[in-house]
Order: sequence, then C-alpha cells, then structure tokens
Amino acid sequence: MPATLEVSGLNKIYGSGEQAVHAVRNAEFSTAPGEFVAIVGPSGSGKTTLLAMIGGLLTPTSGSIRVNGRDIAQLSGRQQAAYRRRSVGYVFQANNLLPFLTARENLLVVNAIGGGARREAARRASQLLDELGLSERAAALATRLSGGERQRVAIARALMNDPALVLVDEPTASLDSQRGRLVVQSLIAEVKDRDKLGIMVTHDMEMALLADRILEMHDGALRQRPRTV
Amino acid sequence: MIGLVEMRRRKLQFALIALIVTLISYLVLMINGLGVGLNLLAGSALRNFDADAIAYSERAGLSVIRSEMSQQSAETAATAPGVTASALLGYVAANYQDSRGKVRSVAFLGYDPGTIGEPRVTSGRKLGPGDRYGLLADKSFLKAAGLDVGDTVDIGLRLGVLTFTIEGEIDEGAFFFQPAVYILRDTWRELKYGDIPAAEQPAASIVLLKGKHLTGKFEAFEAVNKDTAFDNIEGVSGQQSTVVSLRVFGYVIGAVVIGVFFYVLTLQKVAQIGVLKALGAGSFYLFRQVLAQVVAVMAAGIAVSLPLALATERLLQRLPETVPIAFTGGTFITTSALLFVTGIAGAMFSGRQVAKVDPIIALGQQQ
Repeated sequence: MPATLEVSGLNKIYGSGEQAVHAVRNAEFSTAPGEFVAIVGPSGSGKTTLLAMIGGLLTPTSGSIRVNGRDIAQLSGRQQAAYRRRSVGYVFQANNLLPFLTARENLLVVNAIGGGARREAARRASQLLDELGLSERAAALATRLSGGERQRVAIARALMNDPALVLVDEPTASLDSQRGRLVVQSLIAEVKDRDKLGIMVTHDMEMALLADRILEMHDGALRQRPRTV
Repeated sequence: MIGLVEMRRRKLQFALIALIVTLISYLVLMINGLGVGLNLLAGSALRNFDADAIAYSERAGLSVIRSEMSQQSAETAATAPGVTASALLGYVAANYQDSRGKVRSVAFLGYDPGTIGEPRVTSGRKLGPGDRYGLLADKSFLKAAGLDVGDTVDIGLRLGVLTFTIEGEIDEGAFFFQPAVYILRDTWRELKYGDIPAAEQPAASIVLLKGKHLTGKFEAFEAVNKDTAFDNIEGVSGQQSTVVSLRVFGYVIGAVVIGVFFYVLTLQKVAQIGVLKALGAGSFYLFRQVLAQVVAVMAAGIAVSLPLALATERLLQRLPETVPIAFTGGTFITTSALLFVTGIAGAMFSGRQVAKVDPIIALGQQQ
C-alpha cells in the first residue's frame, strides 16, 4: 500500500525556560504516495530532529505526525520501537553497519529483530543485494566494504522490512560527489519502484535536486523551496 | 543470534574474557576444594562415626580433648531413653616419625570391638581382645608414615615409646587434623592414664549413641548431633568462617569482575546498540544478546576451570607434603552454579546500560 505522511503543527523544544531551544517550529507538510522529498538546511537548522520525529526516534513536544492516518507522535516507547521495526527504513550516515557482520548479515539482522520467517528473509536479502549490485560482496564483513558499498548495503537494509517510509540522513556525507550521486539515484529508484515514501535530509543541494520536492529548514522553520540551485 | 555471531567474529576479545572467568572459577574452586580438604582433615573420622549423637562429659563444653567420662556417666549416657546402641570411645594424641624422620601427630581412638565404635577394615584384619599393641591405621597415616599392614610403628606418648603392629587398614579419615588410628580402649586407658589407679581412670572421652531424640544437656553428660560436634572441634569454627569468607569474596569479586568486563564491552558498543534500537530492536531483545554472550563465556570459562582444578588436586596429592584439598561432585556443581548465577547477576549491569541507550544516537544526535 502506498504510504502517506501528514505533519501538522509539529514542534520540538529541548530544555526549558531561558535554556529552551526551539529545534522545530510549527512544521507543516504532507506528501503524495511514492514521493521522494529532500529536506535541506544548514547545520543546526532542525532537519535531523524533524527526521528523528518522523522516524519515531524522538517524541515531539507538540503537533502530530500521521503515517497512513496513524498519529505516531502519541506512541509509547515500546510502540515507537514496533513502528520503527515495521514501518520505517533508515539509511544513516556512513559507518552505521554492524562491523562484525557481513553485508548479508547486516540485512538479515533486521529480520532477526522483527522475528520474520528466515527463508523469506534470506530470499529478500539476496534479491536486494542483487538489485544494488552487491551480490559478490554479500559475504564480506562490513569493515571490508568500500564507503559506497556500505551505503548501498545500508539502503538494502533500510528496505529489508518492506517499510512504508524510507528515511535517509546525509547519505553522501562520507562519499565523493560521483559516488554520492549514484547512491542517491539508486536509493530513489528503489523507493519509487516499491511505491514507498522517501525523506532525505541533506545539506548537499546537488543531491537534493534529485528528489521530487525540496523543503528547506531554517532555525527550525520549514518552507517549500523552489527547484533551483 | 547476533550476540553469538559477534562472539564468533571477535574470538580473541571474548576468549580473553573467558580466560578471566576461567581464572576466577579456578580460584573459587580451589578455595572450595581447600575448604572441603580442611574439613576432612578437621574431622572426617568424626563424621564417619556410626552414630546419631555424641555424648560429652557435662563440663567439657563439647570438647573431645577436655571430655572425660566416668564409667557411671558413660553408662548413664548409653542407657538414656531413645538409645538403641552405644560405644565408648577414648581419644589421645600421640607422635610418630614419618618416612622422612619428621615427627608427626596421630589421633589414637580407643574402642571396644563389636560395638558401633569399631571402624570398617579395608585391608588386613580387625583387632581382637588380645591385640594389646595392635592398631588399625587410616590410609593417610600409612601413606605419610610409608608403612603397610603388618609393619610395626613406634608411637611416642608421654615420656615413653611403644611399638605397635599395624593389623589393618581403615578409611575413616582424620580426627583433629591428625590421621585416625584405632586401638583397643583398654590400651587407650593404659596409654593415657597408666599411672592412675584403674578405679579412678575415666572410662572414655566420649560416648557414641545411636537412636532418636538423643541430644540435650543432661545431669551427667551433654549430647549433640555430629554436625554440632564437628563445629565444636577446636579451630574448626574459625577455619569454617575463613573458608566461607573466602568463598563469598570469590563469588562477589567474580561477579564484579565479570560484570565490569561486560559493562565495558557494552559501553564500547553503545553506538551499535543505538543503531539496532533505531532499527526497532527492543531492550529485551538486545539484553538477550548480552545474556547469550554472558552464558556462553561463563559456560566456557567454567568448563575449562573444572578439569584444571581436578588436575591441580591430583598434582597436589603427589607432593610429599600433602595439601588438604578435596573435590566432590557437590563442590563442582555448587561452585559452577553459584559462579554462573553471580556472573549473570554481574552482567545485569550491562542489561541496565543497554536499556538506557537512546536510539537517537544512531543519527549522531543526543537529546
């Protein structure tokens, strides 16, 4: 089922009183099914905080985040974990693979956490590795993979649980622009092929331009940005 | 199981932790083995008495050394209500020279043949009424003295030396940290009270009693069960406290060391734990991985320490100066189980740490 996301009146305030930091201010946006959205902005603008709230890693101070109509801002810690397990695929910044596992095992760990059928997981892992051109590197330890290979494994891992949302945090931070472009292109292709919803946080406008739509954050406030460099 | 896969891939790291567990387990096993060995040395012969209770003279304060029972008080104890069988037993310490000429102590226990005080002979023959200078020697005595059944041995007592013939071997253990040697009670009286008129000589040091409801303080004697009698052997209570303290310290230190190791290991993996949590892993799932690692490391460490401890026991028994060490199945089972439990209890700190990790760190951001 194509996923929908509606963010409404979303706020995140760290601390209180004079020490309070308003990281996200009254964010509002919604996405169309199969859309890939880029969120850009300078460091400290609140874009990663916004991504963390959508991904169920942070609880908003106020507002709602509706994924397929369900407000995930109201979930308990345990429910948030279940939401992340079932509905979210994360691509973190570089080196967030488990170093003692092979590329293939890094994918299978998602299934181990979720408790799905092993045979089906093995088949899916092989398929994803194949689609991302990693079949020959499946048995290589994460520490033996190149930066680009690691990010592609991270993309495959994010798709392993067939999530509604694929959330991507600075995917090209540790890659040169050519490799970064290839990684983001393959990520967008995977998201669109599977009719997912993709949200990518980046400070790299070149990568952001590959997305369907660009949102810009500045001092916690979110606004639509025209598609020009 | 991701925790076990990690162990397979990080063999050296986990092997080193297992080595620490092995050393701690070995240390605790050796302390326990020495404790059991000391207990055996303190009074295994007493524990082996075929009796339910032991009667002491009323003012002896449950000391075999101080207890002297007259014929009348011994008979009173032997005929007390509930007694089904009894035996008078005399105790006196004597000296002998071992195979290397070193003077050693031996516990002479005087008994009457045919009573419950008679030990079981494992080789040679029993003593008869005519064996005035015959004795039944514990195997530990024969080993230390370098003697065998049929040999004679010079026993030093008071100002004289008497030559005894070893008529039989027994396996009764030690009494008062000395090998037990059984002689006839008449001989014991002669050795201990030879210059005192027979009518004034005590009949026995203690009386062994069989039956039910025998313990208590009575007019002419005080009767206690064998456990109480053992605990009242001079020096035993202090020794027991020391051994128990060493055991407790062993378990506590073991738990703390193992706990600290896994805690540090968990701290090193906080980023990975954060990633797993961000992928949806619950704290319980992650704790199970830590627990699997703790169980595997503990099992491996303890499994290696058991044969190591047994081998050490064999080695120590070959030394000319016998080290009091003994292992029983119970020692191994209890020590292994307690170490396992304490190790896992120590690892619970890691579980708490796992629960506290915030998945937001996967995004390189702290709240």
